[in-house]
Amino acid sequence: MLIQITGIIVVLMAVRTLLAQDRAERLLYLNAMSFGISAMIALYVGTAFGAVLAAVYFVASTITSNAIAHTLDRVGEEMVIED
Amino acid sequence: MNELVGVAAAAAISWLNFVVIDTWMGLPEKPGVRGADYIGRDIEKRGGDLAGGFFQGNLVCSPDASAGTLLGAIGCYLMGVPEGGLVAALLVFIGNRLCADPGYAGTLGALSITVIIALASLAGMSPGLFVAGMVIAITTIQGVSHSRSSRLLGAIARRMDRYTDLK
Repeated sequence: MLIQITGIIVVLMAVRTLLAQDRAERLLYLNAMSFGISAMIALYVGTAFGAVLAAVYFVASTITSNAIAHTLDRVGEEMVIED
Repeated sequence: MNELVGVAAAAAISWLNFVVIDTWMGLPEKPGVRGADYIGRDIEKRGGDLAGGFFQGNLVCSPDASAGTLLGAIGCYLMGVPEGGLVAALLVFIGNRLCADPGYAGTLGALSITVIIALASLAGMSPGLFVAGMVIAITTIQGVSHSRSSRLLGAIARRMDRYTDLK
């Protein structure tokens, strides 16, 4: 039951990420999705090692989001060169 | 049916736990890293509140009390109360340091949810309910409407005297 609830949320967030137009908006949906995946890992694996896996997955995904948001901030206005 | 009620109660408790701790630790006041500033201003541009935007930006860019609450619940579920919560607090602290954050909000969140789960187990609530509950809680903030949730977070920040001075 618990894993189904988190699974539905993960799928919902994945669909919203695909449909979102704005890049920062996508990062927020992806973060909510990471929460769900981390919870699913813990609920599915069900051993002490599962808790370590979930924590490592979550911390790593946060570091990735941090790097992406930092890069987006630095890029600012992009220049698109057309052929 | 009983499990659904338990998950809903756990979601409400987890929501209060991380929103109160994160607001108290000053997440809406300023973006801790540059990426959080970008996300906060983007939410404001889309009709949200700047302080609430900084709050959400900080959640994305560093493991704060929200991550502490989830990992604390997972630790308690799989390793037992309280040792799992303490291991989770240590892992969140390491994650915070990797993201160049002082790391007190996440650690405090993990420790507080461990205490809450210990108390809730007396009422017959299992730690697993808090794992799913926390996913629902974060979805209400980051997965439904960013402009509405940021306005709510901004109102809470104003009430707790943690509203941002930045323009």
